Amino acid sequence: MQGFKEDFYLNFIKDDRWRYIADGLGTTFSVTFFAAVFGIFLGFLIALVRSTVDKGGSKSVFLKVLDGICKVYLTVIRGTPAMIQLLIMYYIVFSSPNVSKQVVAILTFGLNSAAYVAEIFRSGIMSIDQGQFEAGRSLGFSYAQTMLYIITPQAFKNVLPALANEFITLLKETSICGYIALTDITHGANTIRSQTYEPYLPLLGAALIYLIIVCVLTAGVSRLERRLRTDAR
Amino acid sequence: MKKVLCTGLLAVSMVLALMGCGGSVPENSVHSIDDLPGKTIGVQLGTTGDIFASDYEAEGSTIERYNKGADAIQALKQGKIDCVMIDEQPAIAFVEKNPDLVILDEEFAVEEYAICVSKENAELTAKINEALAQLKTDGTLDSIISNYIGDETKGKSPYEAPEGVNRSGGTLVMATNAAFEPYEFYESQEIVGIDVDMARAVCDILGMELVIEDMEFDAIINAVTSGKADIGVAGMTITEDRLQSVDFSDPYTTATQVIVVRGE
Repeated sequence: MQGFKEDFYLNFIKDDRWRYIADGLGTTFSVTFFAAVFGIFLGFLIALVRSTVDKGGSKSVFLKVLDGICKVYLTVIRGTPAMIQLLIMYYIVFSSPNVSKQVVAILTFGLNSAAYVAEIFRSGIMSIDQGQFEAGRSLGFSYAQTMLYIITPQAFKNVLPALANEFITLLKETSICGYIALTDITHGANTIRSQTYEPYLPLLGAALIYLIIVCVLTAGVSRLERRLRTDAR
Repeated sequence: MKKVLCTGLLAVSMVLALMGCGGSVPENSVHSIDDLPGKTIGVQLGTTGDIFASDYEAEGSTIERYNKGADAIQALKQGKIDCVMIDEQPAIAFVEKNPDLVILDEEFAVEEYAICVSKENAELTAKINEALAQLKTDGTLDSIISNYIGDETKGKSPYEAPEGVNRSGGTLVMATNAAFEPYEFYESQEIVGIDVDMARAVCDILGMELVIEDMEFDAIINAVTSGKADIGVAGMTITEDRLQSVDFSDPYTTATQVIVVRGE
């Protein structure tokens, strides 16, 4: 116990080392949050385009070209590791000196997440029975209205668990921020580790923080799921 | 088919357009050590450069800790940071490959490199010290170093193991970070350098087989304390903090910290 106290003091209290993790926590939160928002927005748009073309609802050439672009995007993003994407974004795409690293990280993880979210949303939209669609159209709703008021709400409920899964993955994926010297929780823990040469507490501490965040997130999602379920009865 | 081609071209042109928006790199603003406060200093995580630079944090400097020295140099070239604090010899190697960078004349600190060994393995430390002493007296160490440093002597005296070495002493696992020319670096898929040759020479005296493990610099001491590696050799300076966790052999060479900046 004495040893633990000393280790704790050395790794977190001495020289205010906890600040590395605290700063990292802020970065992890903001990167994950904004990347998730960006990912949902872009992913939803891609899913709309993809499922509209998939259903054969549109003869428009423009939509078909857009669908082609989306497919290329999905292939490239899902076919390459996030770490390589992050390094490409930082050292090649945004090689300009005055770009904030946080913005680079948010964009990278946002673009990355969007690809996965798009497929999740698409699976949700495609899972809704075609009859629902026909019903909407025969009631006089336009295609967009049917999509917005009838299909999407049901689809959203179906994909919620998969979506939560994606955000948990996203949160943990941000642990590679250290590669561009952005201090997230992992990089903070690594910095402490490099100063104290003690692997246990910094690593276990970082793991515990991730675990707590994921638990809170999971609890929030399951509450949301329950509320949506009572709506349906 | 045409459509696929079109979208492909579109995607490529979009990427190219994005790449085009790299702004101009700001002019160098660090001309001496006195300029360091308030600047953004790039270092490799866990190196002595990191330790020295961290002292400037209190004076308003921002320290960016990269996993590799080369990443810090890349960021410096692109103007993302103002300077890089790193050991002299790797700095020379980097500047040779990047003519747009220069090393400031002022030396920052002189330090001694040594081999780190687990505190529980005092016997090995003693044996290594004996071997190092022998290498120093018979001139092997000097010839290894001059094989890598010095324009006239470079490549002239490669280390060769004496014939008929008995390797019955088992293996000696060496943890290193092979991105630190000329101490340890990759040359045609093989890790070479002063530290590697020196460790080989030590093994030849001890009658052991050298096994090299390449890892992140900040993981080396952990690897040694946990017994995953027997020794850590990575241009590692003896510092008070490190002595808390590991023992060091006698120093085998000295080095200095320098500051790398963009050229005018």
